Amino acid sequence: MPIEALLLALQHGDSAFPSGGFAFSWGLEELVNDGWISGEADISAFLADLLANRWHGFDRVALARAHEAPDLDALAGIDRAVEIATWAAPMRAGSRRAGRALLGVHARLSGGPVADYRALVDVDGELGHLPVVQGLVWRTAGLDRNSSELLSAWTMAQGIAAAGLRLGLIGHLSAQTVLTAARATIARLAAVSPPADLTAFTPVADVALSRHARRDARLFAT
Amino acid sequence: MNAPALSPATPAKTAPAARVGIGGPVGSGKTALVERLIAAFAARKVDLAVITNDLVTHEDAERVRRSGLIDPARVSAVEAGACPHTVIREDPTLNIEAADDLERRFPGVELILIESGGDNLASTFSRDLTDFWIFVIDVAGGDDIPRKRGPGVLKCDLLVINKADLAPHVGVDLDGMIAEARRVRAGRPVIVTNCRRSEGIDAVADHLEREVLFRT
Ligand SMILES: Nc1nc2c(ncn2[C@@H]2O[C@H](COP(=O)(O)OP(=O)(O)O)[C@@H](O)[C@H]2O)c(=O)[nH]1
Ligand SMILES: [Mg+2]
Repeated sequence: MPIEALLLALQHGDSAFPSGGFAFSWGLEELVNDGWISGEADISAFLADLLANRWHGFDRVALARAHEAPDLDALAGIDRAVEIATWAAPMRAGSRRAGRALLGVHARLSGGPVADYRALVDVDGELGHLPVVQGLVWRTAGLDRNSSELLSAWTMAQGIAAAGLRLGLIGHLSAQTVLTAARATIARLAAVSPPADLTAFTPVADVALSRHARRDARLFAT
Repeated sequence: MNAPALSPATPAKTAPAARVGIGGPVGSGKTALVERLIAAFAARKVDLAVITNDLVTHEDAERVRRSGLIDPARVSAVEAGACPHTVIREDPTLNIEAADDLERRFPGVELILIESGGDNLASTFSRDLTDFWIFVIDVAGGDDIPRKRGPGVLKCDLLVINKADLAPHVGVDLDGMIAEARRVRAGRPVIVTNCRRSEGIDAVADHLEREVLFRT
């Protein structure tokens, strides 16, 4: 990997890159509150499930399409397909909220088509899903499709491990053990072709996220 | 990516609202100050909105909404993912999104107050989030707070020392505390308030009108 490309990936995959992502637990907080998840092994299993049954067949597919979209019209079409294919309303809302946050940062940083898409998203309540935005902004930043796919998996893993740490479930060393295991899972999945159509099946996380949305006392946005 | 195929209908752009952060330790009176400022700015006909960063619950947001002094739709709550510090400094993205959203929904809004969930004396706001930020400490926290030179106390645009009424009850030399605060801040603004009795609130509102809204 050329040095410039590696540095680019490091900057955009850094958990310090501002995107609001640290405030999303994607169902983990609720599962912890309900006593379903209580330690490193549980978090690892939860994360492996998300990677295999959401990232690989859904986020990755939407991101790849967005990365290759010829214009903003096509991009909006992919965004709408994600909206339709996400059955839980709180999941849709979370995905849009996270996507719009990332889009807002890049619109301010780079302007151009990213800012144009942001203006479009501002007036259309169905647009702005996270994987679609990732495809757009990372392509614009100069990341190739492959790196972008890996970054989306990595930010998902990193976010879950960090949420587990802040929920008091695991320690800072244990979080790295979770990430090391996730790295192997991501590598294994990345070597396999994703399905042709958007395919996700994470009922446990979806139900948790839906319950979470109705909770008054919570630390995380999802 | 090619030129945009769609040119979205953007509403006529109004001047962006001034964004003012309100930080300080938990319990120092940030929400009380927000409530008082809402009333003060209503009297001054300033078009206002509020964002709260409650740590766990939406209690502050609900408290402000229920005050009856502001349209509840103008009060947004942002979750901080257990990082009240991060959400105002290293990664204030969700607060910026909430402020942008308020500006979209209320095009004439002139001032957005962003109340931090509360942290220690080290918390500061990103300059990309706020145009101006206030740090609120209180008398009951002890008169040695300014001397500890926390970045919040030193770096804020305006330091508010709240709960002046409690000074005699907690054995604090208020004048000494104010002098110490002015000294460590090298003369930058310090205002004393009593949010319970609404004292000093006009001084804070005047200051914001002058320094942030450029009205006078
Ligand atoms: N005596 C007194 N109490 C105050 C004053 N301002 C706030 N309080 C009380 O201090 C407590 C914490 O105030 P709050 O606004 O919730 O603090 P926050 O955590 O910084 O938002 C509440 O019980 C308030 O009623 C004041 O000026 N004097
Ligand atoms: Mg408060």
